[in-house]
Amino acid sequence: MSKVPLMMRKLTPAAVCVITMLPVATSQAQQATEVQVTYSKGQFQPSELRAPADKPITFRVKNLDAKPMEFESKSLRVEKVVAATSEGVINVRALKPGRYEFYDDFNEKARGTLTVQ
Amino acid sequence: MGTLPGRFCAISLCAVTFALGRAGVGRAEDASSWRDIETKYIFGFTTGSGIGLEGEKEFTTDTIGRFGKRDGHYAATETKYEFEFTPSQFIQIEFGALGSTHNIGSVTDFDDRNQVAVSGAFAEFRYLAIEHTSNNPLAVTLAVEPTVRRIDETSGERVRNFEFETTINTDLELLKNRLFAGFNLLYEPEVTRTAMGETLREAKLGGSAALSLRIASNIVVGGEVWYLRHYDSVGLSAFTGDAVMLGPTLYIAFTPKMFMTAAWNTQVWGREVGNLVSLNLAEFQRNRAKLKFAIEF
Repeated sequence: MSKVPLMMRKLTPAAVCVITMLPVATSQAQQATEVQVTYSKGQFQPSELRAPADKPITFRVKNLDAKPMEFESKSLRVEKVVAATSEGVINVRALKPGRYEFYDDFNEKARGTLTVQ
Repeated sequence: MGTLPGRFCAISLCAVTFALGRAGVGRAEDASSWRDIETKYIFGFTTGSGIGLEGEKEFTTDTIGRFGKRDGHYAATETKYEFEFTPSQFIQIEFGALGSTHNIGSVTDFDDRNQVAVSGAFAEFRYLAIEHTSNNPLAVTLAVEPTVRRIDETSGERVRNFEFETTINTDLELLKNRLFAGFNLLYEPEVTRTAMGETLREAKLGGSAALSLRIASNIVVGGEVWYLRHYDSVGLSAFTGDAVMLGPTLYIAFTPKMFMTAAWNTQVWGREVGNLVSLNLAEFQRNRAKLKFAIEF
């Protein structure tokens, strides 16, 4: 038996595994939970959000105000400036259960929480 | 106040006065309404687990001053001019140049020296291994910091020095938004090639514990203790002495994007192998101070 078929035989199961896992990995990457929040008149709406644990989260922050805001969170470890009347997208890692605070870094009073369960 | 220690104290006092004025610390404040705090810089020489926010960039100047040997006059500083950024939610990278000053006179085993120099470069890589959540008060970060120097940080002599500091930075939120404990483990091997062609290998091993209280939303005060051991080998086989350093710490955020941290450590106990004197002033200093300013953008 030539070396090539032997290698092929060894490589085929590995290739099948990789190919089988690819759609799973892709679907896992796509399984981010999308959380939408609006920023209007200096406040988050809603200000209390929920998301499932152990899944990546994508925040879509729509700033309706006429000035920029900075979506920031020490516990989520993200910050992003969202220009006036535009939308910002912030990707967050899969989170453990808990309560995560976020705020507008330009506005002391604008705060919200994400509860992960 | 013309001396370096005096300048450290004066700058810290001015900062406290300014920050207290801004914070209105006399008012009763509800810690539950405070925003979360970045723990990396609130423990003085002890480093907290914080790695910043993804996408955040920071420029800092971080000066460490060392003062006092057994005799004569000894004052040395090393300043990091540092750029820091957080490319992901788990990793932080820092790098920059080092500048040093040495003002040494009539110290045994040291040449008299009065110099300012660009002394080297460094980089630091930090990985957040355990993250703090509302259900888990403990956070742990692993850090490595390779450094290369052309000026010896202690004597000020021309050398080629390679150092590889490795630390484990742990912190614990004891009271929500209010009271924090920090712990570091340190292993710092280094190899130095002197101007005379001699190669010296040494290592520092140590640990610290710190406690910090947030007295206002932008001010944290505390204290820390360090136990440090010195070896004349990188494999920790030739122990030469140890020391305990103790002192206060201060962190002030002037604005959400600008802060400073200060710390003062005094050697309260030490020993040199083969030398029956109090304190270890051969490998360590009588006092050390830290003063750091940072701007995030």
